[in-house]
This record gives sequence, structure tokens and C-alpha cells, in this order.
Amino acid sequence: MSRTAEISLPQTCRRRLATTIAWPLALAVLVTAAMLTALSIGRFPVSWAEILHFLATAAGLSTMEQTRFDALRNILVDIRLPRVLAAALVGMALASSGAAFQAVFRNPLVSPGLLGVLAGSAFGAALAMVLDGSWLLVQTLSFTMGLAAVALGVGIAHIFGSATMVVLVLGGIVSSALFAALLSVVKYVADPLNQLPAIVYWLMGTLAHASLDQLAWTAPPLLVAVTAMSACGRALDALSMGDDEARSLGVPVTALRYGVIAAATLASALTVSIAGTIGWVGLIIPHVARLLLGPGNQLLLPASALLGAGFLIGADCLARTVAEVEIPIGIVTEMVGIPLFLLVLHRSRRGWL
Amino acid sequence: MADTLAGCGVCYRRQGRSVLNGVDLKLCQGDLVSLLGANGAGKTTLLRLLLGFEAPHGGEVRLNGAAMAGQNRRRIARAVAYVPQAHAAPFPYRVDEVVALGRLPRSGLFGPPSQHDRALVAATLERLGIAHLATRPYTALSGGERQLALIARALAQEARLLIMDEPLSGLDYGNQIRLLDQLGRLAADGFGILMTTHHPDHAANCSTRVAVLIDGRIERDGPPAEVVTIDTIHRLYGVRVPQDRLRFRLAP
Repeated sequence: MSRTAEISLPQTCRRRLATTIAWPLALAVLVTAAMLTALSIGRFPVSWAEILHFLATAAGLSTMEQTRFDALRNILVDIRLPRVLAAALVGMALASSGAAFQAVFRNPLVSPGLLGVLAGSAFGAALAMVLDGSWLLVQTLSFTMGLAAVALGVGIAHIFGSATMVVLVLGGIVSSALFAALLSVVKYVADPLNQLPAIVYWLMGTLAHASLDQLAWTAPPLLVAVTAMSACGRALDALSMGDDEARSLGVPVTALRYGVIAAATLASALTVSIAGTIGWVGLIIPHVARLLLGPGNQLLLPASALLGAGFLIGADCLARTVAEVEIPIGIVTEMVGIPLFLLVLHRSRRGWL
Repeated sequence: MADTLAGCGVCYRRQGRSVLNGVDLKLCQGDLVSLLGANGAGKTTLLRLLLGFEAPHGGEVRLNGAAMAGQNRRRIARAVAYVPQAHAAPFPYRVDEVVALGRLPRSGLFGPPSQHDRALVAATLERLGIAHLATRPYTALSGGERQLALIARALAQEARLLIMDEPLSGLDYGNQIRLLDQLGRLAADGFGILMTTHHPDHAANCSTRVAVLIDGRIERDGPPAEVVTIDTIHRLYGVRVPQDRLRFRLAP
């Protein structure tokens, strides 16, 4: 008895160490590799060695011909880096928002758009395109309308007194439907030659408009929201077992629920303002992460964030290279995401279906 | 200091209808109290009030003599633990993860469980005889095993008072007896346990006290031999059970 305990204890400790440290590390390596790959491929292929040489030169550790350096700088820093960073941030935000929403709503089939944030943001972006079309307005309106849609959904839920989970979901459905209808109105009145195609393409999702200036102000709040959600992992485990149970374990249920909804909404709205609406990431990536690492949110949330970043960087590479012209990344995530989702469903049936 | 939880003249209304009408009930360490009541009598409501999930409309709930209203949730959680009915969790958490959630009010909401937490979880699983389930998904357990896992979580909380909502429902006969034995051991070890049940015979056999909730009041509260009578059963459930059916005897 004591013998087996002696033998098995270090083993479980090692296994725990493996799951708590090795996986995030492996995923971080994966994301870095995906970033380097994404920087290297394109119309002008740049090898990894050249990228590293460029980085060393930029840091003053090596030298390179000035014209070569400028050309590389143009390709890597001005053209590819903003897309790669934007892909990483958007993937991170959508995947961890999805995972957090799934815990808050106790349902593995929930995605970040549940409370209307994506519908609201889509409407905001379309409205801005019809009004004047400047990217600043598109970003600002899509962001604020995303927040407004969720506020409306939650507000509707509160009209009915106690905002239970079901009422909250219904509020979100109403809000989503309303903003979808408003989007239709905007599409209908849009100029069909220029504005309407622009709206349609935006709604398919694209990283082509990403710029370092824009990322400078979207990245900090987005990263704060993702980190905050990740920090609440175990409390979310408790919350996903039920309100009363979470309360009996000392978890401030209402504060946690609305805090996570606010963080996920903020992050999701920012993704739309960066890249339009990109579907499926928030639904499938948490499932893939759950399949790899188990359902515990403490590990699941950061892992989803990293996996989401890697996935969207990969999807953007496909979007850029698969055809002569760039295809919208939303189409890629759907085309890749659906078979992936079926695969995950097949593998994880045992757990919750 | 021994922990005590007491409802003093607790009243509760739902949609204008009075559910609890001046309930007095006290739980001390070492008690194993069975709460009997018909369906809809307000047993679960009373438990929720005692746990501080909701505030009573009249009277108050006192934890160690101080009003529970407004007390910090984590502080309450260190003294009183809740064992819900075994349910299906939406995600297949491992059993040791579920039990480790009991450490939240002790070690804080953020950060991973400490070495001490993990050791305590392992010891608790051992104590309840379910150490072999530690790495199984909670969703794959049987009803009895889930109930034990939830009790393990309450013990990992290191609260001395346990409030259990129908822990016996849905368990087969063997698991009911095993669980009652387990609860008896816990009470002997100094835990105070309050559980609701629909089995007067179990209540009579194992409890140190039986409380009877009728018409929004605790009508009887005392040793099982005095409380669980043909008359009480009639008052509770509206059926008159002949004496020879109250306890069945098994052939050896």
C-alpha cells in the first residue's frame, strides 16, 4: 500500500508538471513557429534564416546590405508583420472568449457571438462604411456597436427580473436578431456598386487592413481582457457547476459572470474592428484545446488563446497563398473549421454528448 | 470554537405565498440532523436560506451567533459547505479537479491548487474510499460515486458544517446504506450534518436528531425515537402507515 503510494506519487507529480508547464510551452513554440512561417511565405518567399539574419541586423548584432535590409523591412515589418500580429490577437481573443463563454453558460456549444457582440459589430462596421467609409470610423463604430448589442441583450434579460441563464441567452438572441435586421437595412440602402461589396467583404473577415498603428491601441485592452479571463480559470470551473455551488465555494457569482461577459465582449468587439467577422474560431478552438488538455479552465483558457492564435495565423497563410487573389479569412476558418469540428465531436463524444 | 448555524424565526415568501413561517432550527458540530418534509414543503428553500444564498424575509440566519446577512462569502464557505444533489456537470472535469474546487475559499480564487491542497484532496478521496476515482471524469461516475465526490469536495473545504440536499435520492439501496454509514462516521468525527430526506426510516435509523417541516414551521425536532412516529408520518405525508410496515424485517 505504502509502496505503491511511494511509486505513484512522483509519477503523478511529473505528469502534473508535464500538463501544467509542458503544454503551454509547446503551444508557445507552436505560435512562434507559425509566426515565423507566416512571415516567410508569400509572393516573395523569405527563408527563416534570412528573417533571423534581418532581426539580428535590426538589433545591431549583424550587418546586411542596406538595400536588402530595406526591402526585407518593407516585406516583413510593413506588410506581413501587422497581419501576423493581428491574426494572433484576433485568434487569441475569439478562442479564449469562446472558452470563457462556454464555462459561464455551462454549454460547450456556445460561441462568443451568443449575446450579440458580433451582430452588433457587423452592423456598426456596415453603418460606418455607408456614412463615410474611413477606417477609423469603421473600427470605432464596430467596436461601440458590439458593446451596445451586448448591453441591450443583457438589459432585455434584466427587464424580466432575475436574469437567469436562459433569459440572458434569449436577450442575446433578441439583440442579435435586431442588429442583423439593422444590418440588412444598411445593406439595402448602401450604394450597390461600391459600398455593398465593401460591406460584404468586410463581413467575410479580412486581415488586409491591419496596421501597426491600429494594433498599438487595440492590442493592450485585448490582451488585458484575455489575461483577465485566463486568471479566473478555477472560479469558472466552479461557476460552470452551478450558481449555488459556486456561491457555496466562496465565488462572487454575479461579479464573475458579468466580469467575464464584459471581458469577452470587449475582446470580441475589438476583433471585429480589426478584422471583420471571423466565425468558428471561438467554437472549435476551445474544443480542440479541451480534447488535448482536458476541461479544466485554468489550463484551457490560456491554451485556447495560444491555439487560437496559431490557428488564425495558419488560416491567414492559407488565405494569402491558396489562390492568386487573397480569399477572405472567414471563408478559410469555416472551410477548415467545419471538418475539424466534426473530428473533435467524434473524438470527444464520450464526455458531453 | 465549535461552529453553529441557526435559523431564528426564519420567514420566506414566494410570489406572495408564505413558504416558511418562523422556522427555528439549529445545527451544531456532531449533529446528524434529518429534515423531513413533504414535496414542496420548503426544505430546499430552508437549506438555501441557511447557506446564505438568499436572505430571509423575516427572522435571521446566524453563523456562530452573528447574522449571516452581509458576511463575506468566502468566510461563510470556510464554516459551511453545501453538498448539492448529484448532478450532471456540463464538462467532464476530473474527480480530483472537482474536489480541489473545495479549496477555493481557503486558497483563493486565482492561481493553481498548492501542494498542500493536492495532498488534502488525495487524503479526502482516500477517507471516503474513492481514491481510485481520482482521475476519472466526473461525468462518467455513477450517481452514488458523484455524491461521494461532492461530499469529498465539501470535506476538502474544511468546513465543519455540511448542508446536504437529498444526498440519498437516486442511490440504490446499498449505496444509501453505505452513504448513511459514512455520514454517521463524519458526525462522530465532529462534523455537523443537516440533510433533507424522503426516507423516514433512514432518518430514524441514523440521525442524532430529526426535524419535521410542516406548514412552514419546524413542528417536531428531537431524537428519532420520539419524532418518527405513526402520527408524525400521518401529519407529514397524509398517510397512515400501520406499525408493522414502519420497519421491515429481513430474513437472516
